[in-house]
Amino acid sequence: MSRSRLLDIRAARRLFTTPEGKSFAALDGVDLAVDEGEFVTLLGPSGCGKTTLLRAIAGFEELDEGVIRLDGADLSGLPPHRRPVNTVFQSYALFPHMSVARNVGYALEVQGAPRAEREAEVAAALEKVGLAGLGTRRPAQLSGGQRQRVALARAIVAKPRLLLLDEPLSALDRNLRQQMQFELKDLQHRLGIAFVFVTHDQEEALTMSDRIVVLRAGKVEQAAPPREIYRHPKTRFVAEFIGETNLLPARVEGISGAQALLSLPGGQSLQAEAAGLEPGRTVTAVLRPTDITLGTGDLAGTLLRADFMGADRHLRVALEGGPEISVIARDTAVLPQPGTRLHLGCDPALVHVMEEPT
Amino acid sequence: MTHRDRLHLWGLLGPVTLFLGVFFLIPLLTIALYSILTPGLYGGVEWAFYHWNYGRIFGWADGIDEVFEPVYLQILARSLGLALTTVLLCLAICYPVAFWVAWLPQRWRMLFLFLIALPFFASLIVRLYAWLLILKPSGLLNTVLLATGLISEPLDLLYTPSAVVLGMVYIFLPFMFLPLFAAIDTLDAALIEASADLGAKPWQTFLKVIFPMTLPGVVAGSVIVFIPAVGNFIVPDILGGAKGLMTGNLIEQQFLSSRNWPFGSALAMVVMAVVLGALTIFATRAKKAGGAA
Amino acid sequence: MKRSFLTLFALGFFAFLYVPLFVIIGYSFNANPVNMLIWDGFTLDWYRGLLGLGTPGLDAQNRGIYIESTPQLLAALKTSLIVACSTTVISTIFGTSLALALARFQFRAKPLYTGGLMLPIMMPDIVLGIGLLIFFSTIGLRLSILTIVLGQCTFLTSYVCITVQARLAGLDPALEEASADLGANAWTTFRKVTLPQLAPGLVGGALLAFIISMDDLVITYFISGTGSQTLPIYIFGMIRRGVKPEINAIATLIILASMLVAALGLWLRARQDRS
Repeated sequence: MSRSRLLDIRAARRLFTTPEGKSFAALDGVDLAVDEGEFVTLLGPSGCGKTTLLRAIAGFEELDEGVIRLDGADLSGLPPHRRPVNTVFQSYALFPHMSVARNVGYALEVQGAPRAEREAEVAAALEKVGLAGLGTRRPAQLSGGQRQRVALARAIVAKPRLLLLDEPLSALDRNLRQQMQFELKDLQHRLGIAFVFVTHDQEEALTMSDRIVVLRAGKVEQAAPPREIYRHPKTRFVAEFIGETNLLPARVEGISGAQALLSLPGGQSLQAEAAGLEPGRTVTAVLRPTDITLGTGDLAGTLLRADFMGADRHLRVALEGGPEISVIARDTAVLPQPGTRLHLGCDPALVHVMEEPT
Repeated sequence: MTHRDRLHLWGLLGPVTLFLGVFFLIPLLTIALYSILTPGLYGGVEWAFYHWNYGRIFGWADGIDEVFEPVYLQILARSLGLALTTVLLCLAICYPVAFWVAWLPQRWRMLFLFLIALPFFASLIVRLYAWLLILKPSGLLNTVLLATGLISEPLDLLYTPSAVVLGMVYIFLPFMFLPLFAAIDTLDAALIEASADLGAKPWQTFLKVIFPMTLPGVVAGSVIVFIPAVGNFIVPDILGGAKGLMTGNLIEQQFLSSRNWPFGSALAMVVMAVVLGALTIFATRAKKAGGAA
Repeated sequence: MKRSFLTLFALGFFAFLYVPLFVIIGYSFNANPVNMLIWDGFTLDWYRGLLGLGTPGLDAQNRGIYIESTPQLLAALKTSLIVACSTTVISTIFGTSLALALARFQFRAKPLYTGGLMLPIMMPDIVLGIGLLIFFSTIGLRLSILTIVLGQCTFLTSYVCITVQARLAGLDPALEEASADLGANAWTTFRKVTLPQLAPGLVGGALLAFIISMDDLVITYFISGTGSQTLPIYIFGMIRRGVKPEINAIATLIILASMLVAALGLWLRARQDRS
């Protein structure tokens, strides 16, 4: 099944001048494609260009180079108010002097839609976000979560082709944020509108997205579904940014069938899947701390410290003759003492090998 | 910036720029120009270069057309001293009160801030007039002092330098209070506690923590009191009498009675120079304070 | 202990601020026409005199001495109001457009404007006053209400601009972006979002301009002609000619009126801050 292409960004470049007069590229040749109904997340640390990209789509920033097409039409030079795209702002940007209903109906109001139609649409939008009956309130009288929903209702009322969300959950507390993640995802399914969602929170990205685009210093590091990003990071940056991880320098010693044998500094070896590997290459082995099993396995090491983390325990282990790694294991009654020698292992299928040397 | 943006920008800026250019910048430049023109015989000017306007003030004069008189420098020094005294008194009065207001509960704070700002809005001339009534030989203060037996005959309070200082302090107090309060209000109470916790005595805490941190407010308040005080002629006019002649009065006389506009302009330029000098000193102080804070 | 000393000091401070005002108000009801500083019973004569009503406590001869002509006073009040209303409108428009330009655009001359903005406020009044006087006489513009309005607008524009800037700085720039994002063009956004959000700053700036204009003495002193005296100038002249009981009544009315306006303004602002 192939969904039709909605948004197509090619070679987007945007330069800014710092107060010191230097110029740097907030976007440095970004390509991005979004299909109809797709939930795409732009993920990266602050300053990576994700917000600039979002603002360029909305029309608040003009690109210096490159082109943005929506439904095949070039958007360049089109002011924000003439783009069929709406935004949920990080600060929500609710108009404080208008009621909730007027806020939500604003897009229809400025289009000159008749009052009756407006009221019906506003009621429907408020219903969709679970705020039916709160139309007469002022934004100041709402809780943070409610404001978030109003911002959402306001942005969907005009039925945009694409909804842009700029870290919309960052102001909410942890519990509410998790609840809203699910609600947003549900809403997106029901509406069938494509979402471009900006966040620096990798958990949020993994939970909600159909596809994650990891940005770094104005460039796309990797664009792939969440599982792929987590299991098969293409670069060291992606591996470290998404979840906790162990990066071990390794050399491909030999291939036998579907298995490759990697040697670690210090002489210990590790099995991995062989797909695409050539013997003799210097690579990086990516091991998730949760994938490492304790007690059995080929690797030997000494426990440095063990920290209690609730359901899990966080261990630091010095591999024999080599690097230190983190292991997350279920908490058990028996606490190994620091200094204990341990055996560790990892399912070869869960060991990811990056071509990039450490 | 797009062409459209540029149009919006100059739509906003154009009229106000034109207005201020004509009615603010040009008048200022005219003063500078007049200060080096020759005074005419019956008021007015002759369009010829003339440096004795300044010579009269600073000590070079031909002794024929223009005579150097030290009295101008004396008046200038007196105005400066008066302005500085006003600044220091305002500071001494406002500093403790600003702390007092800052430590009030939120509800009361608004009320007292309001009470401090309110007299500022009552007409300046009326507020000065009140002191005329209080300080007159037969005025309220003398009446009260006589009645209580503290003095046996009326004091000469009015038309003294002290009366002028009193009037200045009275009308400029709110100017000092507001920036001071702003600085003191943002002072983090934890810093004072930390200083005490680390063993500093209250006066040490004040000198080493509180005062340096409120210095920007002190500087800002001092500047906005000093500037209007140094050229003021209304207060000396009403409360100062003939002995209390200040630079402001001197300038006013040149324009409205003596009609020597070039000399008045030269005096005004000197006042501007004094103000600029004070601003520069204050600005460097503030920068240092900002660096330390 | 330290606290109570501070409280005492603060009480003294407030007494210093307010006693002079109450002294005027008190004297304005004193019936003694010769020496108004010696209490001689309560009277409303001075107020009645001001309003052109009868003055039962004074005989005809005294009346002529102690009551100056009411028409002159009313003319000064009228001049002040005309000046204040015109300068408020003009300086509010100028100040607001300047504030908007500075907040919304980046341009090379910007530091010049932000610095120059403080100039009319930071400069000694007397310098601006004589500068305007020289300028108007050089271009041959006769001193009148017009010159007062032009002169006052130069510094009132700065006051309005700073007040509006403070409000603009507190606004979320995303509000205007949100409006554009939802389909409103620049003019609609200004009308429906920027202006309503700016209103408290605008009202505050206009009120400040009005109050300062009504009260301005030094600059107006140099640029008001004989036929165009404002209220403060007129009172200044009266005081210079000698203290008369009538002044107390005028002063009292001014104190009450200006405080009423100021209190209204501060109250409005507090209310808007809360909502």
